[in-house]
Amino acid sequence: MEKSLEIIMDIGEQMLLSGAEISRIEESVLRLGEALGAKRTDAFIITSNMEVSLHDEKGVNYTQTRRVSNIGTDIEKLHRLNALIRKICYGNITHEEIEAQLEKIKTSKAYPFGVILLAYGLISGAFTLFFGGGIVEAVCSVIIGFVLAFIVKGTELGALNKIFAKFFCSFASALLAFVCLKFGIVSTVDHIIIGNIMLIIPGVGLTVAIRDLFVGDNLSGALRSIEVVLFAFAIAGGYFLAAGIMGGGAI
Amino acid sequence: MTALIQIITGCLGSAGFALLYNIRGKRFVFAALGGLLAILFYILFGLIIENEILNYFICAALVSLYAEIMARVLKTPTTTFIITSLIPLIPGGSLYYTMTGAFSGNLESFIEYGLYTLGLAGALAAGIIVVVSTVKIILGKR
Repeated sequence: MEKSLEIIMDIGEQMLLSGAEISRIEESVLRLGEALGAKRTDAFIITSNMEVSLHDEKGVNYTQTRRVSNIGTDIEKLHRLNALIRKICYGNITHEEIEAQLEKIKTSKAYPFGVILLAYGLISGAFTLFFGGGIVEAVCSVIIGFVLAFIVKGTELGALNKIFAKFFCSFASALLAFVCLKFGIVSTVDHIIIGNIMLIIPGVGLTVAIRDLFVGDNLSGALRSIEVVLFAFAIAGGYFLAAGIMGGGAI
Repeated sequence: MTALIQIITGCLGSAGFALLYNIRGKRFVFAALGGLLAILFYILFGLIIENEILNYFICAALVSLYAEIMARVLKTPTTTFIITSLIPLIPGGSLYYTMTGAFSGNLESFIEYGLYTLGLAGALAAGIIVVVSTVKIILGKR
C-alpha cells in the first residue's frame, strides 16, 4: 500500500506540474486509489500542495503530503500521464511497470530551445499582423519575440520571482519597441507591443483559473485568479516604466 | 483581406502556443485548427451579431465545444485544445489600449477600454463555463 501511495503521489505531482486542472487531478487520484486496492481514498489538492490518504482493508491509514512549486504547462506530459492512468485503471500492470513508465514520462523532454525560439517569433509576428500591423512592424515584432525567448529562458534559469519576471519581460519588449520607434523604423509602437504582449499575457492561467472556479475548486481557482491579476499589473508596470523612460512616444 | 490575414495569423498564433505548451503530433494539428475555427467563428458571427461581447461569448462556447469533442476523439485532456484554440480571442489589443490610456492619463479611454477588456474576458469565461458545466451534467459526475 505504501508503494501504491508513492505512485499515486508521483503521478499527481507530475500532473500538477504540467498544468492540469485540480478537478482532473483529484479525480485521477481517487480512481488510482481504487484501482491500486485502497478501500477508501481521500485527496485534497491545491495549486501548491497535495495531500492523499489511502485506507487499506485492515483499516490502516497511509498519508503523504507534498509541497509542489514551479507549475508549468506541458501538455505532452499530461497526455502521457493520462494514458498511463487509463492503463492502470484497466488493471494488468505491475508496480514495476508503472514506475518504469512514470520515470520515462518524468524525464520526457519539451521541444528543443530552437523550436521554442521559433515559436516566440511566430507568435509575436502573427499577432502583430492580426491586430492590424504592417510587414515592417511584424518583422520588428519577430525580432523582439526572439529576444523575449532568451529573456524568459534567463528568468527561468535564474529562478526569478514569476511576477518580477513578467514585469521585466513586459519592460524589455516595450523598451525595444520604443527603440524601433526612435530610430524611425516604424511610425507607431502599438502593434509591435500588442504582438509581444500576447506572449506575456497569462491566457492559460486565466482559462485554467476559470475552469477550476466553476467545477467547484474555489480555493485553487482563487489562487490562480490572484496570480493572473498580479501578472496583469506587472505587465502594465513594465510597460509604464519603458514608456516613461522613452518619453511615451506611443501617444 | 483583413479577414483572411486574421484567419491565417490567428491559426499561426495558436500553432505557436501549441509548440510552447509541448503539444505534439495529431493533437498539434487540431490545436492549431482550433485557433483557426475560433477566429473564423468570430468573423462569421460578427457579420450578424453587432454586440461584440455576445459574439465573444458564442465563439468561446463553440470553441470549448470543439475542445471537448476533440479531447474525447483523441483521448486526451480537454485543456490541450481549450488553452490553444482560444488564444486568438484573448483581448490583447484592448488590454494594451487600456494600459496606454492609464499611462497617458486619458481617463476616458482608460475606463472605456478597461471595461471593454473586462467584458470580453468575462464573455470568454462565460462561454467556457457554459460548455464545461453542460458537458459535466450530461456525462454525469464520474
